Amino acid sequence: MAAQNSQGIQTLLEAEKEAAKIVQQSRQYRLQRLKDARSEASREIDEYRQAKEAEFKSFEASHAGVTSNAQAAVDKETSVKLQAITDAYEANKDAVVKKLLDRVLLIQPELHRNLKRAGGAESQ
Amino acid sequence: MPPRPMNDDEVLSEMNKMVAFIKQEALEKAREIKVKADEEFAIEKAKLVKQEQQAIDAQFEKKRKGAEVAQKIAQSNLTNKSRLKLLQRREEQLQELFSIARTSILTFAEDEGRYSQFLEGAVVQGFLQLMETRVTLHVRGQDADIMRKAGEAAADSYAQISGREVSFELETTLSEDCAGGVKLVSSSRRITIDNTLDERLRLLEDKMLPEIRRDLFGPNENRKFYT
Repeated sequence: MAAQNSQGIQTLLEAEKEAAKIVQQSRQYRLQRLKDARSEASREIDEYRQAKEAEFKSFEASHAGVTSNAQAAVDKETSVKLQAITDAYEANKDAVVKKLLDRVLLIQPELHRNLKRAGGAESQ
Repeated sequence: MPPRPMNDDEVLSEMNKMVAFIKQEALEKAREIKVKADEEFAIEKAKLVKQEQQAIDAQFEKKRKGAEVAQKIAQSNLTNKSRLKLLQRREEQLQELFSIARTSILTFAEDEGRYSQFLEGAVVQGFLQLMETRVTLHVRGQDADIMRKAGEAAADSYAQISGREVSFELETTLSEDCAGGVKLVSSSRRITIDNTLDERLRLLEDKMLPEIRRDLFGPNENRKFYT
């Protein structure tokens, strides 16, 4: 009967060992899952970053196009305006020169408005 | 009644039951752990991804804003340069106009009739400003004769207008490069009136700028206030 007892205990001990192994395996699975979480997350993040990068690059490319268009448009407008200035000048310059010269050359002397015409008296 | 001792079969079956029970418990515990592990996996992954995504988004938003600002700056630079070019052109035209005027007054002195009339007027104007009894008139060498006559006429005009007398002296101190005209100096030599053609033109070039702008280029459309 003692032999049966120790056999029984042995069997139970082995069963316990098996049980512990099973639980241990599941714990290792848990640790593995945590590592997987990290590595999968970083992979997804990289994909996302690349997608964003590509989006930004296309945005930049379109913007560069806009800039060179703007330059050309502004230049065209500027040269039109420059021409308008020159034309206006040519059309009006003679009149303006005449006006200027008239003011230089024509003098209309007047007594200062605060003074009165003195009847022969001398000032100072 | 105390329980009778078990026979071998019963012992065996009890053993098996116990072993099975132990195994069952282990399996259940293992399953629990696995389920929890999967949950944590999902949560952790989502958290990490979301965190990094937000950081990346913020980064690119900043880049995009920077690019927009740079574009606005470039645009503003273009407009500025264009405006400067326009203003430069106006300035060139204006200077050309003034030099035309300057060359034409140089030939004015040749028309003796108009020139002496001008001189007379200039002297009267000077007398009326000085209001002195004795004045020195400075002219160019070539104007000395014309000046003598014009000066007399001017003194008469002055007497008529102001009722006061004036006497003057002539000096030919102005250089020959001068376009013409007269400088009047008071007797104490403290007051000088520069009434030469060059000086008059120079003053007008400055004072008439608003008017010239209006006549040459049209009024300013952006201006809101006129006194």
